[in-house]
Amino acid sequence: MKELVKITLGLVAIFIGAGLIIGVTYKYTSPVRFYAEKKEKEAALKEMAPEATDPIKPAGNWTIHGKSFEYYLATSSAKPVAYIASTAGKGYSSFIQMLVSLDTDLKIKDVKILRHGETPGLGDQIEEKSFTDQFKGKSLPQIKLIKGETKENIQSITGATISCRAVTNGVKDAVQTLVDTYGAGLKTAPAEVIK
Amino acid sequence: MSNTVNYGTIVKNGIFGENPVFRLALSLCPAVAVTSGVKNGFLMGVAVLFVMTMVNATVSLLRNFISPKVRIPSYMFIIATWVTVTDQVMAAYQRAVYKDMGLYIMLIVAFAIVLSRAEMFASKNKLLPSIVDGAAMGMGFLLALVLIGVFREFLGKGALWGYQILSLDGKPLKPLLIMILPTGGFFAMGLIMGFLNWIDRRFYGGTGSGGGAH
Repeated sequence: MKELVKITLGLVAIFIGAGLIIGVTYKYTSPVRFYAEKKEKEAALKEMAPEATDPIKPAGNWTIHGKSFEYYLATSSAKPVAYIASTAGKGYSSFIQMLVSLDTDLKIKDVKILRHGETPGLGDQIEEKSFTDQFKGKSLPQIKLIKGETKENIQSITGATISCRAVTNGVKDAVQTLVDTYGAGLKTAPAEVIK
Repeated sequence: MSNTVNYGTIVKNGIFGENPVFRLALSLCPAVAVTSGVKNGFLMGVAVLFVMTMVNATVSLLRNFISPKVRIPSYMFIIATWVTVTDQVMAAYQRAVYKDMGLYIMLIVAFAIVLSRAEMFASKNKLLPSIVDGAAMGMGFLLALVLIGVFREFLGKGALWGYQILSLDGKPLKPLLIMILPTGGFFAMGLIMGFLNWIDRRFYGGTGSGGGAH
């Protein structure tokens, strides 16, 4: 009985000590981490629409793969210059998180891979500029993955087909959402001018 | 353990004689998982080095206090504590590194080498030798990961530390793509382990006792 109490108290003492150490570390590191993450997100958004002078604000939410993602409206002196959506694709071994930005003609300005856990050396080639730059200037019907040479569509990377497909589908869904949201507004805008 | 402690022996033991990966064959899973590049291997090694040093120090300090009957849960808790601290500090101050390694840091809790050094060395020795042993073992682990990383990244990607070295007509040359896949990790580890055993037998008259899965 005496030993039982001793063992229990010993374990409790260790657990309390460990809890204190973790708590103190968390107290000092979590604000730093929070600001760093916030700053990273802002920097990534800014990169997607460099000409936007106003701070980029979330404009709404949309859903893909059962998760909610935000989309943003980038404005310069209150005039829209770009539409940005965060999106994801289901890759070979992870969810690939991305940002997609469209210009006001609803053509892709830029695609940025934020986070992924694809196979090093194969799937992670989706991060390379030679792949993501293919999306630039493309409109919605052109976003299609092709195995083999193509200038019109998106060319897949050998050995990373699943990852490429995930990126392409994620981008396509995001563009679709942005076009649905802002495309209609664009079409009606000139009509109002005529009235 | 004798009363006189030879730090040189502990250090040599950790890096060569009982190298965690090549001689003790412990923690092979992370050694395969994170060594597709030199950089990842190095950073993982640094994290393990820190955790092992801190765990050995803590266990050594508490060695007369921890009841032998619950020593394993106690060690696990101490390990988990220091791994969590490493994870939090890395997430706050080393964002770029954390992006690559974040997934693996928490796995250090389950590394056999950390627990085995706490049990085999730190629980029986004074504070300073335990710290040296933790650091030496961590160093041995780090060097092993870097060695495997160099082997795999160079053969698999033609690069080192992310910089392309081999190229053909301006395109990056990748001699053996299989080396950066998990399969290649086993190839690399087996070949290096065999080579080290061969050196040991040929020049030092050892028995080449590496291996034995854990």
